[in-house]
Amino acid sequence: MDIYLPIAEVSVHWPSLVLLGAVVGFVSGLFGIGGGFLMAPILVFMGIPPTVAVASQASHVVASSTSGVISYAGQGGVDFRLGGIMALGGAVGALAGVELFRYLRLLGQADLVVAVSYLVFLGAIGTLMLKESLTAILHRKQGRPPPRKDRRRPLWLYGLPFKMRFPRSGLYISVIPPLALGAFVGVLSAIMGVGGGFILIPAMLYILRMKAGAVVGTSLFQIIITTAITTVLQAGRNQTVDVVLSTLLLVGGVVGAQYGARLSGRFRAEEMRAALGLIVLLVGIQMGLELFVRPSDPFEVAPGIADG
Amino acid sequence: MIQIPPPPPPAVEIPPPERSVGTQDEVRVAAALTDARVRVDSSFSGASIVLYGAVFNPGDTPADVVVVVRGPEAPIRLVQKTRTFGIWLNSRPVLFEGAPGFYMTASTRPLSDIANFGELRRLGVGVDHLRIAAPEERRTVTRYGVRDVVVSRLGEDYLDWRRAVIRLKEATALYDTDPDGVSFVDRGLFRAEIELPAVAPTGQYFAEVWLFQDGRPVSVSNLTLTVEKVGIERDIYEFAHRRPWTYGVLCVLLAGLMGYVGSRVFRRS
Repeated sequence: MDIYLPIAEVSVHWPSLVLLGAVVGFVSGLFGIGGGFLMAPILVFMGIPPTVAVASQASHVVASSTSGVISYAGQGGVDFRLGGIMALGGAVGALAGVELFRYLRLLGQADLVVAVSYLVFLGAIGTLMLKESLTAILHRKQGRPPPRKDRRRPLWLYGLPFKMRFPRSGLYISVIPPLALGAFVGVLSAIMGVGGGFILIPAMLYILRMKAGAVVGTSLFQIIITTAITTVLQAGRNQTVDVVLSTLLLVGGVVGAQYGARLSGRFRAEEMRAALGLIVLLVGIQMGLELFVRPSDPFEVAPGIADG
Repeated sequence: MIQIPPPPPPAVEIPPPERSVGTQDEVRVAAALTDARVRVDSSFSGASIVLYGAVFNPGDTPADVVVVVRGPEAPIRLVQKTRTFGIWLNSRPVLFEGAPGFYMTASTRPLSDIANFGELRRLGVGVDHLRIAAPEERRTVTRYGVRDVVVSRLGEDYLDWRRAVIRLKEATALYDTDPDGVSFVDRGLFRAEIELPAVAPTGQYFAEVWLFQDGRPVSVSNLTLTVEKVGIERDIYEFAHRRPWTYGVLCVLLAGLMGYVGSRVFRRS
């Protein structure tokens, strides 16, 4: 039942890879996110070199996001214009991120930066989501109306030049914030191996304040393009994409994502957000722990010598 | 035991002959591998190769057999984690050039009983005597655009770092010492097993079979072993390294296609 992965150069139990793909796919379909933040730590735990794990799972994100975008596009839930602009920023960010990652690997600091990024971003977003959704649940339980949402848009967003209309999202804003957001997510996608949905969705909702109906579809569309570029760059620059690994993951992922998407209608939105917030927070803490726990061996092999 | 860094390898090394050589008159060792080619295919999960051989020992002096297997050399980089303000941070990486990617010894008795420290060190037999080329003098160079990479001897810390290389390799079963890995099945006939873990590097491996008498090497037999990827594993690896950009684009297209097919199939059902 073991299979030898040609690029990762390790032998793994393949049914558990398919299962992992299915579970992460299910979570990603359920919450409308890529799920990369869950998968990378588990792959590393299974003994796959972190660089290969991060690069190979990006194509799992591409596959599960593709099926998501197809169904959202059918309902008019994808703003291709806004998504395209964010993807442009994402391409630049991914390019910079892959180079940054190479440099960090040479410095021997790649794992440190990955751990800090997980702790900071997942910790912050998870806490925010959990707090916001728990407040909403509490209000509903007590029969009070939900807290009024702050509908004002931040002023600084509207003073910027290069304004553009995005009818699908109900926005008339400068192209700079979406470009910058895309670029930022692109860097994260290269370093953390995540699609960045967990950052994009809150940012689009609470900072850009676009129509809620177009948020998930548009973020998935931008994620496909950014992760596709990341995958090609990782393969081209670092030769760390293992096609056998990613195929096994996405066989499970495609199936899991469909079941997750079907089930997602059964839960209340704030309960979903609370559950997702909790998962995000736990993964962030788990990854961040290695910064504070005494390592079993003070010496460690630094990856990234094979490439010159 | 006093630990001193092993000496640098001799400047000129004569390539070892592929036959057994008698360094004294008649006492001789001859050995062979059951399989000199290890094929790494998709079901590869490590391999076990049997080495067998014969000792020609007409005298009464007992002889010890030591098998040393070295994998292809590969530079290894190490970082040391140190605690700063409660957070474990990485030190600057230190590059060890040319640590073997695989190293094992198997012997009839513990190595320290077979020969003395100096002899083992001279021959580079045993993980403690392994030559790991960390350059002697301190220098920092700019490498791959990164400044101040230490490629140097580490002063008094050197042994800590060296031991760490060995410890980390042992943890992944790439380095191994088996003090009773060589067993005599009959008078003069012995066998040993070489256990290759799944993470063993591909390339050329060299096996030395030493015969010791009274703490002196009296004969050696040299063998080679090739570990290579075959079939689809090889094709994918070569493709990914020869045409990395095409490979990346194909990976993405495959992923997109599977996502599309998945959503089609499930919409119908």
